[in-house]
Amino acid sequence: MEQAPEYVIEMLHITKEFPGIKANDDITLQLKKGEIHALLGENGAGKSTLMSVLFGLYQPEEGVIKKDGKVVQINNPNDATALHIGMVHQHFKLIDVFTVLDNIILGAEETKLGFLQKKSARKKVEELSKKYGLAVDLDAKIEDITVGQQQRVEILKMLYRDNEILIFDEPTAVLTPQEIEELMQIMKGLVKEGKSILFISHKLNEIMEVSDRVTVLRKGKYIGTVNTSETTKEELSRMMVGRPVQLVVEKAPAQPKEPVLEIEHMTVPSKVHKNNAVKDVSLTVRAGEIVCIAGIDGNGQTEFVYGLSGLEKVSEGKIILCGKDITHASIRERSLDGMSHIPEDRHKHGLVLDYTLEQNLVLQRYYEPKFQNHGFIKFGAVREYAEYLIEKFDVRSGQGPITIARSMSGGNQQKAIVAREIDRDLPLIIAVQPTRGLDVGAIEYIHSQLVAQRDAGKAVLLVSLELEEVMSLSDRILVMYEGEIVGELDPKTTTVEELGLYMAGAKRNTKKEEGAK
Amino acid sequence: MKDLLKKEGTTSVLATLISIIIGLLAGSILILIVGVTDKTIGINGAWDAIRLVLMGLFNTGRTATGALAFGFNPANFGNMLFRAIPLILTGLSVALAYKTGLFNIGAAGQYLAGTWATLFVALSIPTSVVPAWIVWLLAFLAGILAGALWGAIPGLLKATLNINEVLACIMTNWIAANLVTWAFDLSKLKNVTEGTKTAYIYKTSFNNVQTAKVGLDKIFSGSQVNGGILIAIMIAVLVYIVMTRTTFGYELKACGSNRHAARYAGIKDKRSIVLSMALAGALSGAAASLYYLSGNPEFFWSTYQSLPAAGFNGIAVALLGACNPIAVIFTGMFMSMLEVIGSQITFLTKYNEFITDVIIAVIVYLSAFSLVIKMWISGRGKKKKTPKAQKSDEKKGVHA
Repeated sequence: MEQAPEYVIEMLHITKEFPGIKANDDITLQLKKGEIHALLGENGAGKSTLMSVLFGLYQPEEGVIKKDGKVVQINNPNDATALHIGMVHQHFKLIDVFTVLDNIILGAEETKLGFLQKKSARKKVEELSKKYGLAVDLDAKIEDITVGQQQRVEILKMLYRDNEILIFDEPTAVLTPQEIEELMQIMKGLVKEGKSILFISHKLNEIMEVSDRVTVLRKGKYIGTVNTSETTKEELSRMMVGRPVQLVVEKAPAQPKEPVLEIEHMTVPSKVHKNNAVKDVSLTVRAGEIVCIAGIDGNGQTEFVYGLSGLEKVSEGKIILCGKDITHASIRERSLDGMSHIPEDRHKHGLVLDYTLEQNLVLQRYYEPKFQNHGFIKFGAVREYAEYLIEKFDVRSGQGPITIARSMSGGNQQKAIVAREIDRDLPLIIAVQPTRGLDVGAIEYIHSQLVAQRDAGKAVLLVSLELEEVMSLSDRILVMYEGEIVGELDPKTTTVEELGLYMAGAKRNTKKEEGAK
Repeated sequence: MKDLLKKEGTTSVLATLISIIIGLLAGSILILIVGVTDKTIGINGAWDAIRLVLMGLFNTGRTATGALAFGFNPANFGNMLFRAIPLILTGLSVALAYKTGLFNIGAAGQYLAGTWATLFVALSIPTSVVPAWIVWLLAFLAGILAGALWGAIPGLLKATLNINEVLACIMTNWIAANLVTWAFDLSKLKNVTEGTKTAYIYKTSFNNVQTAKVGLDKIFSGSQVNGGILIAIMIAVLVYIVMTRTTFGYELKACGSNRHAARYAGIKDKRSIVLSMALAGALSGAAASLYYLSGNPEFFWSTYQSLPAAGFNGIAVALLGACNPIAVIFTGMFMSMLEVIGSQITFLTKYNEFITDVIIAVIVYLSAFSLVIKMWISGRGKKKKTPKAQKSDEKKGVHA
């Protein structure tokens, strides 16, 4: 292992401290030429800091960086670029109103006497795009192309600059399953051509599929580097979290009982276009089952939940909760009738960020006699209840009940919302993307809570974009495409591929069509 | 209460005190510059004025030798309390709206609406028929109601059509100024018995309606003080209790802080916004009521070209008090003290009262700054180029 030329990039014993915290503590990362090297860790494990050090944004207190066996000093991103290190950021750095070609050459323009030489640039980009299979229309504007295509533009940008080391920062977070598959192929193609890739992720499936080796970080510390072919998802997650993690949700078969929620022909108009966002949706959720609405983002799920929860008006149809028609009921009435709701956007709907944790924990119950007397808040009861929830659901924060919600981490904000909604003990739980942006440990916890609620006889309606979550958590899957339910699937018999086809609108459940006729 | 002081209170009070001190210093320096450059004033004249700025409340006039004399001056104290009444209430009006996420720049218009209703009721019902205290009460309630209605208009526009309340408030201010002029123009309430005055409305004391002195005039002899100050303080305490202790205040603040989350939690967001503005308007209306019901102030009815200063000074009072209802009592009194000092300076030196306007301006400017400083302290300041903010940025990077 001592042969220097084996590694294109070596980060040896990197330590980077911030006031009060060691973000990177003696971390070593060695990237072989022509490999895909995954960097795995929970939120806050130090992945981003390490990459910022490599990119010259931070200077480490200790440790050296070697390129091709030689020690290099990277003081700023320009140095990194000069060393042919390129990065695709999680949030793309593209100019929406520029064309693809303009975006690619921006900052590295070829000029002659001050005039752009777009022709030779175009030729070079076209060659690159052919060589690596990155098909994209060079004259289209960024705002007109899909997110997957935008990512290709980012990759082309790196290639255009002759980068040899490519860093992908959580590249799959924004992609559909099909786009993820394509990206995997592109990455494999890139390493075949001699590029080296650093792949930052906390999604185990992707790491297992695409990477050659994995380096795991936990709480700023280096845990180890393993060959992907010699490890398992379980081992990786144990390394990442520090304890064994239940990856597949363990649950007994569902025992559905009486219907709790019945939706008949619900239609919700769209706010952005003239068509209806939700079209004639009918479904039933029974006590003791988890029904999942799957679909690609933007296919009417948000509006569906708004209509169901009363945030938007329903133009047609009927909603029956526990045998009571709540189609035109107010939000508070629905809540009192037995609907709890873990909202999609925790900052917009889930929390009053300037309120304290305890104030947020009673957001749905402050008016109950338990917490108020003739309109005066019972502060003692609120504090007691908040402490109980914090303890029971392990919500971590700086100052306990009086922490301002804004200052809490995303995972704990979400836990607080889940705690609040589940503890209300209502017959119906609507959970919209309950684990978005959370790491494995928190996801495991929230999943186990939802299953426990199901087993306690609650009806759970889950809306999720994560295929893994859909497959492992639900008892029945309904696929929503362009505002319609296009299929009902059984997670036990269906495959991710089939689900993907429904989500993309390529397939419809024939049974439903016959039923409609 | 203790938690409050520990968390925000201390920094707020410190910030306010610092702005006040800098404001007074700035005013003193200005006085000094004017004094030194003007031979008719000189350094001695300037020194007199500076001492008045700092201790004017305790000034008892000049001694026989012409030196400034200091001691307890009941008239000054009483006038400070009297002038604090409208300032405290309009300050509360702005503070309440601010706490519920709204900027009430319409206090002036609501104050005018309150003025009109109060004067109209107080002067139209003859006290020979109805007991004076009932007329007083009706006039007070009318002022509150008129202010509330006038405040509710921008609230309604905001809630239903999402029109920015600042714009709506500015418009309703001028509509009020013109409507009130017009209404009094048509009325028979113009003061015609005192020939020296034109375009003034009768004092409410003409109809024997005025706020009880409740003995305050004996403590602060020679001043205009009356029981109104006690009512204003009681209202401030009431606002504090409603905003911090009740579910109603919880709802209003939740709605102001995050309208979407409030709606999600089943709080009627539109109703909350309208109510917030109506309550703010009611407080401004009460400010006008208590001021004019004291019996002595005269209302210049032709107001269509100007808005009452009390409305805008309320913004300064609220800002200086960090929008805390209890703090507003004190900042209101501080502002009225500056007013009293201003008239003292006019009376006793060659300077005029506008020097105190400069001081107020500097203080308000700094108190707006102090909000920013406090935001930095509590770590909520967003990433700008100060070293402090950068550090917190780096920290965020770690957790990202």
